[in-house]
Amino acid sequence: MNTEVLEIFRQAVEDPGKEVREWKEKKGGKVVGFLLTDVPEELIHAAGFFPFGICGGTVRMDQVEAHLQFWSCSYVRNSLALALDGKLDFLDGLVIPHTCDTTRMLMGIWKHVRPLPFMDSFRLPRQVGRPSAKQYVVGELRRIKDRLDDFRGTEITDEELSQSFKLYNSNRNLLRKLFNLHEQNPASISNKDLYTVVKASMVIEREKLNMLLSELVSVLAENAGTPNDKTKIFISGTFLEPLDLLNYIDESGGAIVGDDLKNGFRYIESDVAEAGDPLEALAERQLKRIPSASYDIPENLRRHFLVKTAQQKGVQGVILLHVKYCEPENYDYYDNIQALEKAGIPALRIETEFGDTSLGQLSTRVQAFMEMVGGE
Amino acid sequence: MSEKKTFKTAQLMKEMMKKYYEDGAAAKERGIPVAWVTAVSPVEILYAAGVFPYYPENFGAVAAARKVADKLSVHAESKGYAHDLCGYARCGIGDAYADEHPIGEIVKPEVLFCCNTQCGSLPKWFEVASRFYNAPYFLLDAPLIGNEPEELCTSYYKEQLYEMISLLEKITGNPFDYDRLAEVLHLSNEACRLWNEVLDTAALKPAPFGFFDACFHMAPIVTMRGTQEAVTYYQALKEEVDERIKEGIHAIPNERFKIYFDHIPLWPKLRWFSDLFAAHDSLVAVSQYTHSWSYSFDLNRPIDSLAEQYTEEFVNRYFDYRLQLKMNFFKKYNVDGFVLFSNRSCKPNAFGLYDKRSILSEKTGLPGVVFEADMSDLRFFSESQVLAKLEPFFEQLGSS
Repeated sequence: MNTEVLEIFRQAVEDPGKEVREWKEKKGGKVVGFLLTDVPEELIHAAGFFPFGICGGTVRMDQVEAHLQFWSCSYVRNSLALALDGKLDFLDGLVIPHTCDTTRMLMGIWKHVRPLPFMDSFRLPRQVGRPSAKQYVVGELRRIKDRLDDFRGTEITDEELSQSFKLYNSNRNLLRKLFNLHEQNPASISNKDLYTVVKASMVIEREKLNMLLSELVSVLAENAGTPNDKTKIFISGTFLEPLDLLNYIDESGGAIVGDDLKNGFRYIESDVAEAGDPLEALAERQLKRIPSASYDIPENLRRHFLVKTAQQKGVQGVILLHVKYCEPENYDYYDNIQALEKAGIPALRIETEFGDTSLGQLSTRVQAFMEMVGGE
Repeated sequence: MSEKKTFKTAQLMKEMMKKYYEDGAAAKERGIPVAWVTAVSPVEILYAAGVFPYYPENFGAVAAARKVADKLSVHAESKGYAHDLCGYARCGIGDAYADEHPIGEIVKPEVLFCCNTQCGSLPKWFEVASRFYNAPYFLLDAPLIGNEPEELCTSYYKEQLYEMISLLEKITGNPFDYDRLAEVLHLSNEACRLWNEVLDTAALKPAPFGFFDACFHMAPIVTMRGTQEAVTYYQALKEEVDERIKEGIHAIPNERFKIYFDHIPLWPKLRWFSDLFAAHDSLVAVSQYTHSWSYSFDLNRPIDSLAEQYTEEFVNRYFDYRLQLKMNFFKKYNVDGFVLFSNRSCKPNAFGLYDKRSILSEKTGLPGVVFEADMSDLRFFSESQVLAKLEPFFEQLGSS
């Protein structure tokens, strides 16, 4: 069932550069990479560039040692290693969102070792509760748009922005449908396939993605079958990595019904308003995203969000994924777990690394946790 | 090692800091709100508002210098705060949970003000503390800037200064006093001017004063700039340094080389490093770190000036600006080599150093080295590993 279209997504994740290389060859367009995922991709897309999400991959790590300390987060190390090893040689540009000290400092290093024609940072605000924040984000978006205008040679029009907003909203809407199908009937698509599709959505041309997602959603909806019981799990963290981790949840009869991950539901949870000022709309979306460790949102504090969502969805257990050396996530951990404990929601913390393939111990811990929270 | 002649002002410093901590502890009884604040924050506004600014980073540095950072840290680590987080933050969080307080208890905040130019650890630590102490938290958010100041960032910061002032008015119940701010800014300018004059004497050869002296004498410029006490202190220090110049008293016995050091010192090993460099006739003359407090505010446009100077600090700049800054210091102090400290506690200052080392050597022809350790936690310090990096550096200096 539905294996054909799913296979395309799986292959895109297996070889993230495949689709974009083909696109570049065919269209001759420019590719602007980004680090996950607090980035106004719509602006890049509206300029006619291919926004490419750098999602990690298997790569030799020896070259990166000369540029980044081993105690920097493995996502950033892995990304730079990919660049150093020529695995991102299709990039014409790069946008780094400032979500932590490491991403703040990475641009200078990257510029030095692998300069690209277009390099910029999305300097996210670290407070979002006061009026000054929105004004600033709009200004920052305008600055990035101006730079993209310059890089392209002509101004991005409102019409182009509107088209991109529509396309991205449609992508997100289809991905949300997929999450919904999975939540209603976990047997329709495995956890691993679901998150594979999200990951693939960052490396497939957006127009093509829309067709693939439409097909997938309709095939799955037709074959929905009868809902069956699975252990409901919420995943909290920065990144879901490695994807193989989800095999254990699949095998243990778990269904992920929510997350706050940069490469999960948080990526597609909300849309950009299609009416009104486009930059204001983009700013609005960014400021109201699911809370993450990058900043606390006074009216939607992260730990409260976790508890509230877990309760609403009847979650039986929360898995806290901690990418080793991720500072912001680490500072949130204790208060998050305290809030969950207080609400009587079991939680398991596991440490992961990008590019790490030895999952042996994790499997035992995840399976034991699943058994504990799944048992009556 | 020849015993170094201690500064007379050291005693004054002890008294001043003692009083500062006593004032902090007594503030609550006197009805003065205690505000936590970060080292590179517009503390002038807090002094003008009449609240007591308290520096948890200073608490961390003191714990580190007294070699108890690991003892405090374990209380944070047992809660799941990993040992690779900022050492100051682990001390502060650890002290909150600890039953014993080897350097006295951290002063509890009624409000927390954090500026994130220095790093992203401080805001996360302050968020944690704000939840722990149940006190409001206010972030002065500063986006990183490049070589040129940006109107976007300055006006964002300025807007936030007004938001900060509104919050202070609510907390104190008094309208903000701009005349008082002008006085405070004037005092801050004076203290910064004197402090920088003292730092500049390290350019003399041989010099009466170096980086390790600066580390000892910096507490007032961090915690008390904007007060008369800080001005008085640096006047006294400046006089003493001038006397030393006249009398020919030097920072190290036989200065042959001047070194640039990046960035924060290893507090628990301050003496060890100072002796090591001195033994190689090398004076660590300058670090961007101690030059962080070099403000000169325009009293006619106080808020604009605060916004400009605090966002344009080097800690809030990209890679290229920081490279240039280091080279400017190399030149001004006429250094013979540079030592870059890859500090596990301080990611924003450590990341990029590997490439900076090679670029700096290439551009200046000076020998340079990067070594690994932690500013506060001796569990990340290996004497043999540090020496393995520094000994060849000293050899290079000697042969150049």
